[in-house]
This record gives sequence, C-alpha cells and structure tokens, in this order.
Amino acid sequence: MMEQRVNVFKLHFIVLVLVALTEFIGTKKINIGIGVIALFPMLYALVLGGFISWPKFKWLKENEMNVAANILGLSFFLFICKLGANIGPELPKLMGSGVSLLFQEVGHIVGTIALGLPIALWLGLKREAIGATYSLDREPNLAIVVEKFGANSAEARGALGVYICGTLFGAIYMSILASLLGSSGLFHPISLAMGAAVGSGSMMAAATGSLAVIFPDAAKDIAFYSGAANLMMSIIGTYVCIFVSLPLTQRLYAWLEPIIGRKSKNSNVGGQKSA
Amino acid sequence: MNQILTILLIGVIALIGNWIGYQVPPMESLPGILLLALITVIGMGFTKILPFKSPVIVWISLFAMIATSPFFPGNAFTAAAIGKINLLALATPILAYAGLSLGKDIHLFKQLSWRIVVVSLVVFTGTFLFATLFAEIIFKIQGKF
Repeated sequence: MMEQRVNVFKLHFIVLVLVALTEFIGTKKINIGIGVIALFPMLYALVLGGFISWPKFKWLKENEMNVAANILGLSFFLFICKLGANIGPELPKLMGSGVSLLFQEVGHIVGTIALGLPIALWLGLKREAIGATYSLDREPNLAIVVEKFGANSAEARGALGVYICGTLFGAIYMSILASLLGSSGLFHPISLAMGAAVGSGSMMAAATGSLAVIFPDAAKDIAFYSGAANLMMSIIGTYVCIFVSLPLTQRLYAWLEPIIGRKSKNSNVGGQKSA
Repeated sequence: MNQILTILLIGVIALIGNWIGYQVPPMESLPGILLLALITVIGMGFTKILPFKSPVIVWISLFAMIATSPFFPGNAFTAAAIGKINLLALATPILAYAGLSLGKDIHLFKQLSWRIVVVSLVVFTGTFLFATLFAEIIFKIQGKF
C-alpha cells in the first residue's frame, strides 16, 4: 500500500501564482441594486483554484487535492494566530462585550436548527434532516454524527450532504451573504463580525473578508470580534454540539416531523440518491 | 518537521501577497510572518503534548493573545510586527488551497439531491444571521450602539 508521492511544491507553487495574481487584481465592489457585493482576491483565488482542480482537466490528482485540503487547515492556523494577536493588545475590550459574545454563540447554535430543520422537513427530508441541520456540519460535527448514528445512517448522509455543499460553495455563499447583510444597513459591523465566525475556516475567512471590504473603517474591529467569537466557538463548540444541539434537534424532529413532514414513504431523499 | 516547513512556505506566500496587495515591503513583513509561524508551531506542539484531545486553534489563539497582551515581554514589538501583516493577505492562501481541493468533492456533489443543497444554504444562512441578530440585540439592550 504505497501512497503515491505527492509533490507538495507543485501545490505551493500554484497557490503562490494564484495569490500573486489575485492580489494584483485587488478589490472590486459591485452594486447589484439590492446591495453591494464585495469581490476580492481570496474569492478569485478560490474560483481559479477550483477551476484548476476540476476533475475533467486532470491537472491535479485526487491525492494532491487531499493534500491541498490538509494544507488549507495549516494556513487557517496562521489566520487564527493573526486574529489572536489582534485581540491581545486590547484584552479589556473583550470583557466589555462578554454578554454579546455569549449570546451570539447561542445564535450560531440555534440558527442552523431554527431555520434549517423546518425547511428540511417541509422539503420532505426524514432523519437526514437531523444530521443536516443540527450544526454547520464541518469535520468535527461530521465525526459526532458518525459516532452516534453510524456512517451508513440517514443522519450521517444528511450531515455529509451539508458538509460537501459547505466545502464546494460555502465560502462563496458566505461572502455574498456577508456582503448583502453588510450593505443592508440593518446590522452593526461588530455584530456581523461575530456572526461571521461560523466555525469553518474557509467560510469564516470569506465572510470576514467581505465585511472588511464593505466596512473598511471598521476592519480592525471586524478582525477583533470575529476572532473573539471564533475562539469562543472553538472552545465550547464541540461540547455544545454533543450535549445540546444534537439532542435538541432530535427532540424537535420528533415533534415537528409529524406536523410539517411530508407523508412520503420515501425516506431516502436527503442524502445520496439511491443507485 | 514537514508541517513546520509547510507553515513557513505559506508564510512566504502570505508575505508576497502582503507585498503585492497591500504594498508592505517583504523585509517589513518578515518579522511578523516569522512570529506568526512561531506561535502557530508552538500551539500545534502544545496540543500534541497535552494528555487530552483539544482543538489546536484554541491554543494558537490563546498563545497569540498572550504574546501580544500588555503584560507579556516584548508585546509591543510582537503586536507591531504582526500588525504589518494584513488579515486578508493571510486569508487569500487559505481559499487558494481550498480551491485546489474542490475537485475531489465534485463527484460526491453530483450524487446529492437538490433538497440537501437548499437545506445547506438555509443552514449557512441560519448560523450567520442568528448569531449576528443575537449579538445586535444584546448590544442594543446594553446601549453600546
């Protein structure tokens, strides 16, 4: 079982070219009527990178893509480190917003369920809905569902579905959402910054990036508060998922499914289509 | 060892991004990048030697906070050096690597029902919107803004 050797320098080199090219193009703002959409280097880099890794072209091998996903994790560590270094000099400021920080975390937790579960049931998902909506379904959340229900369970299929969508277009979607919510004028940039700390590296980077482009004067605050919210999430997130979100979603499912759920016998609509 | 090298390489890429995108000369970014890499590596090492499992990003965040907080020796230098590195310059490589990894999930995506795609978007919206809303409400109650 020899692992095929991966030339990581090929990956680094492509990323270097992408970064140089996209940073050179720089930031653009487009007004689309209902709001301003921020276009900025990391989004171009994501799209161009996705293009390069498109399976049809065969420019990258499957294991090279897997290695790229691992390096993505490491590059997020540097981003997190920078966010932490932003908080340090102004630690006291953190204390002043402790209550908001706590409650936004509740928002992150209930938000996926409160919006997601009713709509999932309305669309006819069965137990897939539990896995799909109890959290944002990144790697740690996926592991929790698999451990509890098994890898072949309906719950795990639902969670995996959201995970795949998150990987493929979560970052783009988050940046558009952040742009629209930001330019709507409904929310303060600081609240949005906390909201942007969704618990996924690429989605968070894209959302905070958009906010920083929409609110250039508040860029420091945005980094500060999204960093603080992310720290909060990373400390308590897993425990809350296991002991609160997942049991809560199961209860709500048992209660809501007979009310909203379609009377379809087909319970296999959520995850993969049956072959 | 491999991971340390990778961190340093990402640092070099971010340094170049910081130069092209934000006009910070490489020599000015260098101390900040090295400090970021150092704290990150310490955080990763610390997580490994701990007897229990814990998220790496917690320790990296905490160490970065401590190193730049007012009571830590050399904090002013550390904070100023890292301050030269634009946050977005660090984010661009993340999404570039993310892009290069996308291809592996496309065949999985093709097997998904459209319903789960809709639910995903709703879930993404929910977590962002509700957290923002809750933070906003508390700040309003507290009269902060």
